[in-house]
Amino acid sequence: MFAARKLVLAHFWVAFVAFGAAILLGEWQMLVRSPMVGWVSNPEHYYRSVTFHGVVMAYVLPTLVAMAFGYAVCELALKRPLVGLKWAWIGFWLVIAGVVLAAIPMATGYASVLYTFYPPMIAHATFYIGVVLVVVGSWVWVGLMHVNLRAWQRENPGAAIPLAMFGTLAGAYLWAWTSLGAAIEVLVLILPVALGLKGTIDAGLARVFFSWTLHAIVYFWLMPAYIAFYTIVPRAIGGRLYSDTMGRVAFVLFLVFSMPIGIHHLFGDPQVGAGFKFVHAAMTALVSVPTLLTVFTITASVEIAARLRGGQGLFAWVKALPWKEPAMLAVAFSFVMLGFGGAGGIINMSYQMNETIHNTQWVTGHFHLIFAGAIVIMYFVIAYDLWPQLVRGVSLPAKLVRTQLWLWFVGMMVLTMPWHLVGLLGMPRRMAYFDYSNPALQSQAWTVTASTIGGLMLVVSAVLFIYILATARRNVAEPAPYSFARSLHPDDPVPAGLNGFALWIGMMVALTVVNYGFPIAQLASVKESSVPAIHMGRP
Amino acid sequence: MGRGVFWSIVTLAALTLVTVAIGFLWLPSAHADFTAKGVWDMICRAAGVPEKWGDGAAAKPAARSTQVVLDASMARAGPADAGGRGASLALAQCTMCHGPQGMTQSNAPNLAGQYSDVIVKQLLDYKQGDRASSIMQSLAAALAERDVTDIAAYYASLPKPRNTPVQDMDKVPALVKTGDPIRNIAPCAACHGGIERKLGTPWLEGMPREYLAQQLGAFASGERRNDSHKQMRNVARGMTPAEISEVSDFYARQAHE
Repeated sequence: MFAARKLVLAHFWVAFVAFGAAILLGEWQMLVRSPMVGWVSNPEHYYRSVTFHGVVMAYVLPTLVAMAFGYAVCELALKRPLVGLKWAWIGFWLVIAGVVLAAIPMATGYASVLYTFYPPMIAHATFYIGVVLVVVGSWVWVGLMHVNLRAWQRENPGAAIPLAMFGTLAGAYLWAWTSLGAAIEVLVLILPVALGLKGTIDAGLARVFFSWTLHAIVYFWLMPAYIAFYTIVPRAIGGRLYSDTMGRVAFVLFLVFSMPIGIHHLFGDPQVGAGFKFVHAAMTALVSVPTLLTVFTITASVEIAARLRGGQGLFAWVKALPWKEPAMLAVAFSFVMLGFGGAGGIINMSYQMNETIHNTQWVTGHFHLIFAGAIVIMYFVIAYDLWPQLVRGVSLPAKLVRTQLWLWFVGMMVLTMPWHLVGLLGMPRRMAYFDYSNPALQSQAWTVTASTIGGLMLVVSAVLFIYILATARRNVAEPAPYSFARSLHPDDPVPAGLNGFALWIGMMVALTVVNYGFPIAQLASVKESSVPAIHMGRP
Repeated sequence: MGRGVFWSIVTLAALTLVTVAIGFLWLPSAHADFTAKGVWDMICRAAGVPEKWGDGAAAKPAARSTQVVLDASMARAGPADAGGRGASLALAQCTMCHGPQGMTQSNAPNLAGQYSDVIVKQLLDYKQGDRASSIMQSLAAALAERDVTDIAAYYASLPKPRNTPVQDMDKVPALVKTGDPIRNIAPCAACHGGIERKLGTPWLEGMPREYLAQQLGAFASGERRNDSHKQMRNVARGMTPAEISEVSDFYARQAHE
């Protein structure tokens, strides 16, 4: 790596230290909700903790990891120093300033709005200003990704954009467009109320704007993991990427379809029409296509590695895989969690089936399994894979790394499967305590204990992860040169449409206008829809 | 334009049209709620266009004055568990407008510390249709007699918002401290506290300014008429808009607890 080494390290460390703190809060939440201890004496403390856990895990961790990975990919894939290093540091400090600013009202109980920004709950203005700074910092990253690609293209006219960089750009453009919804919500609707200029807020419109961001943000979190699937895993296990084109197709499909589907989070909201709910549900179904393409392509790539190592037979090749390689273990765990989580997701997005699990513990189980499971385990792989470049030539303790990944996988399954089960039985999410002495609930008590044990395994895994990274010392003069996975047919030409973004960004914007234009215009024009704001931390 | 680009766009457009047709024509056509008023209305409903509601019919001024007879028992604290039961009811039905603990940034009245006899009287008036409000009438209609006293006990138990004490009596509006006998306007403080507090009259300190001004206007015009023996109508009718504004400002001054 060239110029961005310290920059990438700084992003990673802030992300992982915050992650370490937030996971402790998550486990505390499980513990106080379980039948093992008495009820939390002040439920507000519980929601304060949920807010902190959610803000760190959903905004701080993935944003910083995506930024760090993007900067690293920029240098490693384009093979040139990062353009605009100074700007990148400004972006980083904006994110840090935002996090600190938002943390103050969160810690003092003036921002216990959870991490979903759903009015009429209103936090202290500094919370929103902090979040806006984080987003602006990430926009600097978006701009830099774009500028670096252009600079490289000027030097290499007509050349195929490396797949890792192509995916990074898809993620950056997706984030730029999707963060706009929450930005409008915060700047136009929430901040005037938080600053005391207005006493009422259009909660229905705000929720629609938030849904604009809320679902596609998941694909922004997911992009680094998918880039790792395509460009790190095949190389790490000694195989070849089965199809470079398939990777590009998956990335552009995410760009087009992840954005205009957020209303599937609002199936229970009366202010949105049933027609739009159906259209969003149908298009949510389409976003499973790039994931299915990816699972197929990566499984094929893995099979190539197995056959290169002498694997035989229809399925017996699985035994020939390098199971001691952390990337191999992680991708297998990731796919298992993606499988369960994806199947659950299809239930969430179905307009009718959603009724059974809407706002239950099932939903919490779903997004922990997909994001904290399938995606975050790939963040670990990314960190482990880049660490020798970042701290210069180090080999990580492989056994400890495997233990960490095993603990994360088993812990996540033990945490989330009971949540899915009780969600089906109707346990609501976001509850500070349950009365287990009630005969109707008593039979569900064990599931909360089980999840607490799963959470404890995740805490141990997180501690191991940070320990492994922190104790890595420089022990070789120079790291081995970094490379991304080679595809099976590296000389195949890349289709012109898949070597640029204009068409796909055009489709993304057009679909957004079709799917969001009318609901937003209609809600904005209804005058009677504002409700009194409820300020957190005030009487 | 390349063939790939062309077909990508055609496919996406076709896909969008098909899902829109299913969502706005086919699925709603299967339900009587959607098809009741023709195809265009059905599409509008699927798009989420709201029906007109609150067209004024529900907010028609009540024809008669109040039926509630004020009784000293309304002001007494109920059994010990009344406040707790009232808190549960309030949490489910009142907090949205009146704030999580009876204090709100909106222009709905603050209820924290309000006298129980006031809340009982107003809820009964809403319930019997003698005070107009499409929201409050429908909420109050569902309340049993005990619910009403429980909610009142809960709000009465919360701390009252208090204005900054006035050091200089000259700054208190004349209508508040002395009224205007020649116009038959009694001093506000004679019933609402300060000089004396009468059964059924609300605590006003810290109330939203808009709410106070609006209610005085409604008393003056006769739109609101649930005051026993026209007590407030007679007072408000004599007040000028400037005086209404002045006393509203006075009672709505920044509240201190």
